[in-house]
Amino acid sequence: MDLLDLIDAVQSVADGVLFGATYSLLGIGFTLIFGVMHKINLSYAAASIGAAYASLLVMSVVEAPAVLAFVAAAAAGGVIGGLVYLVGFRFIPLANPLATLMSTVGLLLLIDEIIVHATAGVPLSYPALFSDVIVQVGPFGLRGDLMFVFALGCVCMTLLLLLLYRTRLGLATRAVSQQATASLLCGISTTQVNVLTFVITGVVGGIAGAMTGAAIGMLSPLLSLPLTVKGLIVTVIGGLGSIPGAIIAGLIVGGLENAFQFFRGVSERDLYIMLLLFAFLVFRPGGIFAKSSGRD
Amino acid sequence: MFEVSDIVAAYGKIEALKGVSLKVESGRITCLLGPNGAGKTTLMMTIAGILQPRRGSIRLEGAELAGLSPARIVSRGVALVPENRLVFPEMSVRENLLAGAYQRRDRAGIDSDIERMYARFPRLKERRDQMAGTLSGGEQQMLAVARALMSRPRLLLMDEPSLGLAPLIVAEIFDIIAELNRDGTTIFLVEQNAHMALKVAHQFFLMEQGRITFSGTPGQLAEDEVIQRAYLGTRRAVG
Repeated sequence: MDLLDLIDAVQSVADGVLFGATYSLLGIGFTLIFGVMHKINLSYAAASIGAAYASLLVMSVVEAPAVLAFVAAAAAGGVIGGLVYLVGFRFIPLANPLATLMSTVGLLLLIDEIIVHATAGVPLSYPALFSDVIVQVGPFGLRGDLMFVFALGCVCMTLLLLLLYRTRLGLATRAVSQQATASLLCGISTTQVNVLTFVITGVVGGIAGAMTGAAIGMLSPLLSLPLTVKGLIVTVIGGLGSIPGAIIAGLIVGGLENAFQFFRGVSERDLYIMLLLFAFLVFRPGGIFAKSSGRD
Repeated sequence: MFEVSDIVAAYGKIEALKGVSLKVESGRITCLLGPNGAGKTTLMMTIAGILQPRRGSIRLEGAELAGLSPARIVSRGVALVPENRLVFPEMSVRENLLAGAYQRRDRAGIDSDIERMYARFPRLKERRDQMAGTLSGGEQQMLAVARALMSRPRLLLMDEPSLGLAPLIVAEIFDIIAELNRDGTTIFLVEQNAHMALKVAHQFFLMEQGRITFSGTPGQLAEDEVIQRAYLGTRRAVG
């Protein structure tokens, strides 16, 4: 491999890592909901894309700068998150392990169908920010839109960590995820924490959906399934329930995805990501930051 | 005064509490003894609102608690130190205490209560920033007690505080129980360790198969007899 190829490869991985911030956010969303409810919400990535679509709807009604799309997507994500809890969890018997899995698959399909019907299945272009900026670092060029996506992802993650570790609500969320009975005994309402977790992860998902749209320049209903799978892979590699794990795993998956694409082509890309998932499931099922076992 | 009357609670079709009635005098230590599976923990969980009773009433100073959510019961002044302690393993000692004060909004009061807990449990002060999951069993028990006290309860419920602890630590825990009571906290205690419990309790109840079968004051019966009944059970109700 000559130098030019190497530069291209590094460039490609760097782009992937920047985009990986989106996967990190989705992974955090899956992980947080699993943390408080011990349930997988399979409709999460679809809802995130749905929120991005909703922001396009807002943008088509009001004349506004592109940055508003992100705000609108965040707001829509929060609303959809609350609705997903109401429809997919509130009245579903939680003791049955399959019930919420099925209700969230149903919601995934429903959200996809709504998008397909509303747009006739035609991809819509999504406003990007700073797409005309390219920062040259030596031989590499960092795309402005991707850097914005990455920076926004970092801001979201920082805010989320502050929320979790510095606020009363965050304390309650961690308490519920670590010991649900004890948190009830402390006077924490688990229902309230569950609802707020869905709304907050919804907001984060909405932003991730908008970031996806901005990074690839368009939205398509075909995005929701791959994003669901990537989000779940990130959750496994990062370790179910681990937020730092989800952050790192998101960036790793983003980077590796582009590396595989560069060396093996786009058609084989996801195959290797799946192999990576398989390797983690077999050799390190607890994820990269696997905790020492033996504690309840 | 705290009063439980005719409480029935069930898991599905199995009635774990078949009409339990008892009274806990304010300012005293009352102990509930009984063999495994008698329903002692079920009663504690029902009082705390984790389980809803089928019928019956639970009153603290005349106010009805049955049917309220656990959060409302905490705000009415009842706190439970659960069996097996159930500390939040990946939260620091300090955060565990803050969680115990979740319903309170008075920052200054919470801070001064945390300092009071540190003064009462110096081991917790030493480990204030350590994750609760890394504490020893005895330290976790102290943390669970301190966490429950952070809600400033009028009635402190304790479920098997000596479970799985070394004898020396058990003695320390019971010293703390007596001390808390001297400071005015009403305590209702479930205990397998009848020997220790009868030393501190002012009044005790014996529970078998979901019913109260005996009550009295320590010393009224020979300790041996109480213990024998608590573990081997009685066929007929006495008392």
